[in-house]
Amino acid sequence: MIQVMLWMPVAVGLLCFAAPRRAVPILAVAGSAAVLGLAIAVVAGFDTAEPGLQQTVNESWIPDLGVRYQLGVDGISLFLLSLTAVLWTAATVFSALRTPERRRIYFFMLGLGETAALGAFLAQDLLLFVLFFDLMLVPFWFLIGAFGGENRIAATTKMIVYTLVGSLLMLVAAIATAILASDQVGHLSFSLADLSAHTVSTSSQYWIFCFFAAAFLIKMPAVLVHGWLPDAYKAAPLPVLVLLSGVLSKVGAYGFLRVALPLFPQAVVHFQELILVIGVGGILYGSIMAFTQTNVRLIAGYSSIAQLGFITIGIFSLRPDGADGAVLQMVNHGLVVGAIFLVVALLWERTGTEDLVRLGGMAFRAPVLAALFLIVTLATLAMPGSANFIGEFYILIGVFQSKIVYSFVAAIGVVLAAFYAIRLFQRSMHNRKPDGIASSELSLRDVAVLAPLVACIVGLALYPGLILGRSDAAVKDKIAATCPRLPAGKPQPGWTGYAPIPVPDRCSSGHPEISVIK
Amino acid sequence: MLHSYLPVIVFAGLGVIVGGTLAMVNGLIGPRRPSRAKDDPYECGLPSEVTRTFRFGISFYMIAMLFILFDIEVVFLYPVGVILRAAHSVFVLVEVIVFVVLLMVALIYVWRRGALDWR
Amino acid sequence: MTFHAPHIDYAGLSPVIALTAGICAVLVGGVFSARRQRLVVSVLSLTTVAVAAGLCIWQWGEREDLVAGALRLDELGLAGALIAILAAAVVIPLSWREPAAERPGSEPRHGEFQALLLSSVLGMVLLAQAQNLVVLFVSLELLSVPLYVLCGSAVRRTQSLESGLKYLIVGSLGSATLLYGLAFIYGGSGSTDFTTIRDAVGSGLTDDPLVLIGIALAATGLAFKISIAPFHQWTPDVYEGAPTPVTAFMAVATKAAAFCVFVRFFEVALGPAVDNWQPALAVLAAVSIVVGNIGALGQSSLKRLLGYSGVAQAGYMLVGIVCASALGVNALVFYLAAYTLMNLAAFAVIVVRERESGYGDGIKAFEGLGRDRPDLAWPLTIAMLALAGLPATAGFMGKLYLIEAAVDADYTWLGVAIAIGTMISLAYYLRVVAAVWMRPAAEPLAPEGAGMPAMAGGSPEADPLPSLAAATAAPRPGTRCLAILVPAWLMAGATIFFGVLPSPLVDWASHAGGALTPFLA
Repeated sequence: MIQVMLWMPVAVGLLCFAAPRRAVPILAVAGSAAVLGLAIAVVAGFDTAEPGLQQTVNESWIPDLGVRYQLGVDGISLFLLSLTAVLWTAATVFSALRTPERRRIYFFMLGLGETAALGAFLAQDLLLFVLFFDLMLVPFWFLIGAFGGENRIAATTKMIVYTLVGSLLMLVAAIATAILASDQVGHLSFSLADLSAHTVSTSSQYWIFCFFAAAFLIKMPAVLVHGWLPDAYKAAPLPVLVLLSGVLSKVGAYGFLRVALPLFPQAVVHFQELILVIGVGGILYGSIMAFTQTNVRLIAGYSSIAQLGFITIGIFSLRPDGADGAVLQMVNHGLVVGAIFLVVALLWERTGTEDLVRLGGMAFRAPVLAALFLIVTLATLAMPGSANFIGEFYILIGVFQSKIVYSFVAAIGVVLAAFYAIRLFQRSMHNRKPDGIASSELSLRDVAVLAPLVACIVGLALYPGLILGRSDAAVKDKIAATCPRLPAGKPQPGWTGYAPIPVPDRCSSGHPEISVIK
Repeated sequence: MLHSYLPVIVFAGLGVIVGGTLAMVNGLIGPRRPSRAKDDPYECGLPSEVTRTFRFGISFYMIAMLFILFDIEVVFLYPVGVILRAAHSVFVLVEVIVFVVLLMVALIYVWRRGALDWR
Repeated sequence: MTFHAPHIDYAGLSPVIALTAGICAVLVGGVFSARRQRLVVSVLSLTTVAVAAGLCIWQWGEREDLVAGALRLDELGLAGALIAILAAAVVIPLSWREPAAERPGSEPRHGEFQALLLSSVLGMVLLAQAQNLVVLFVSLELLSVPLYVLCGSAVRRTQSLESGLKYLIVGSLGSATLLYGLAFIYGGSGSTDFTTIRDAVGSGLTDDPLVLIGIALAATGLAFKISIAPFHQWTPDVYEGAPTPVTAFMAVATKAAAFCVFVRFFEVALGPAVDNWQPALAVLAAVSIVVGNIGALGQSSLKRLLGYSGVAQAGYMLVGIVCASALGVNALVFYLAAYTLMNLAAFAVIVVRERESGYGDGIKAFEGLGRDRPDLAWPLTIAMLALAGLPATAGFMGKLYLIEAAVDADYTWLGVAIAIGTMISLAYYLRVVAAVWMRPAAEPLAPEGAGMPAMAGGSPEADPLPSLAAATAAPRPGTRCLAILVPAWLMAGATIFFGVLPSPLVDWASHAGGALTPFLA
């Protein structure tokens, strides 16, 4: 089933070239809806009790190079797959209603992108993961470059150069991992299971981890390596931006959980504080930038940096609670930011501007739009009662357990989120309506795109255990590698020169009070 | 001792006689069309002192090049001549035929391409 | 004196024999067919190529010495031969409307063009199988001399003549250097046979100054031929000036054959001295990757761009030799095959576009191609993405293979160099793709009417009237040239196919590389 799900988007995309011109959008929508259906079926068929991989596929692919075609679903990837399917369906439907020019190549590239994203989440072979990770760039480069706004070619080239700097180094690092581990495994293998069972020596782990971390941090993007973000976000067509911000940024964070933690545990512990600093820096920088920008896209973009900062520190708390929260937050943020960009697209259609200064008063004649946007805004600022609140709460607990200082700084970010999210809502929906801007209600078709997303946000807020209950076992499995290996008597100095505080006993179990919520 | 040099002496004598006869016969019965170029000490049909704008006929080069090519290639037949008595084999025959056919192909090409026509 | 006919394995020599016979047939067919020359000659040469390829496949798996050990019949040599033959088979249709071959009157232009092409292929087949210093040099010359002529074959274009002359001079310099090096190696080891040299070098000659000088000079000479930096300066000029089909052939087939002999010479004959040449070649590879990629950045002519990219790609491939391992040789053969597919697809599109638009091979000629001519835009896009090494293409698999070999041979820094080179290269490959898909079409430019003065050979009367030349040289946009489109699509399709299912090509490459396994540690 996951194979069908993986290859269907690109197959439908190819069919688009053969289909008559008018049928192309319908075909694309049908394809993405079918993928969504399969994703729901995978979630429904998921065995909650089983911590390992399910629905595995394991075929020989390039035997000489030790690369296998290995796929599988576990608690971490399960909901990211669903998120991918949901957002892709939303973006496809949204685009299909507007029928872009050169629609065949547009929908083909969307399909290729979905296959690549799904593949990155499904791959259980390190090289296959790298391959899908890189493949994702091609369709997005095309979509932004061919369908984007002004200055699109420079923006999209900047994006691909930034991202490939990371991912090509990752390719070298992945090969090095497999070859270094091949002595212990007995043969050349890129299988994540083999590699995590036989990790390479600590000194090699350091540089290999650095290469992987570079790729993942650029993809997210984290602060310091986010240079491609403003240009790309300004130039990208909005349905594509939904995917770029909603799904692609998650692949980086997912890579940390899937690859970095189990394969390079010592290096992860070694560089924990560095990544935490980057994460917290991202929270503060992203929040402040989001507050000062007036371009709606950039507000959402910088808020993504902040949110991904949260996700990063959640993972690098190296505590099950933090990582659980990170997984939940990945899904939350994907849904929320997707919805925001769709709203931005609707605003642009109504007003022709994305500048907050020139927006305002939209709620006057569009109460449904305003109401839906309000829900999204409240979810963004992690209002208690929303799933984002639970996600951030878990993350903060995780960080609190391991590195208390960072959790205090990160908590500031929660407050800052309220500032920029409410500012965004107020300036666009409330206030006096500027002249020359028509406020009109959502059409029924747009409701059909936006409402399900908002429904997902509300649904998760009501029942976050849907994700937490399934991801917990897998997350603990990934975290376990990094935790208990610290030698008790002789703590190794971290990169700061200080010894990390060993708390191995709390690693294995979640916090008792919190588990009530699950 | 001297006996062994006899063929050399005979050969040299024959050479002088034949060469001298031919030169004399040439001078007696050949046509005479004197020109300045022919009266030059080094005679090859071209003026020996040329001006800066003089253009040399490309046909000379063409013929000279073809001569060198075919001449050199025929040299490759020489080794066959050395072992001719020993080599009573179809193999050698076929080898020589292949070689000559290759030369023939080249000759046909040169001929059809017009390189043998004096222009 | 008795004479014994030597044992000759005609089966093993059959590809060479077939090509030789084919060259004669094409040459004679060319001079005897005036009106339908293109058809006659093309049928002859395509048949030759097909027969030769069939014989190569028939001999696949045989391993023996031919002609008293002068040639080595094995999968590596046959792989090189097959690549050269494939390149020739694609280039023949590309040359059909080329002004270099399509001339008025009854001159046997097509016959000469294709006979020269096939002679070069014959040189490549011999070179890929060469196992003797003399055969190495002679076949290298047999490869090069027809190419010098082909480069200058568009006699009415100054650039073409310049390109031919430049290639002649630089190529002769390279040949001379190589010959000098071979002489030193012969002087040091006392033999011209690869395996005997190996034994001699292995028994205490690894630090012999004669052999070391010989290695250095031979490596330099070969580096000239495969345009490894810093011996690459001729490449962009020659690539730009030569008629585009010739450029395509040169870029692909020369590299394949020269790399085959490079790897055989260094891993077999000079294998015991590996510690001496390995670091030097590693540095050459790294320099080539950097210089090629940086040089390509500012190019606006696509042929020049591909010339510099060829320098960089040669650097990548050299990594396979540096590794001195079975994996490295396999990676090299795989990459050669992949490189052939991608480059031929790209050049086929350039050939069409060069004739259609007034911009020649400038990047402007490709603007808006995605909208106007998707049938041309896709092969070019796939080729560029594959050259850049993006996933789901054979280029990615090739780089993966090479990096794996490099890391395995403890040359991780070369793996990183490949990765860094790839990053730089994205900037120019993607510029081409961006022009194809993301820019509006450039204004069509009227083709230059003024005829070039006759530079050499032929007379002004033979030139068609300028207006006539413009009309025939530039068919209206939209003209479908199936003979070029079909190969372009086949090559692009194969690039994708081997990117998704690389196993067949990987198996093929490891068979080819396996021929050298006995000589590798």
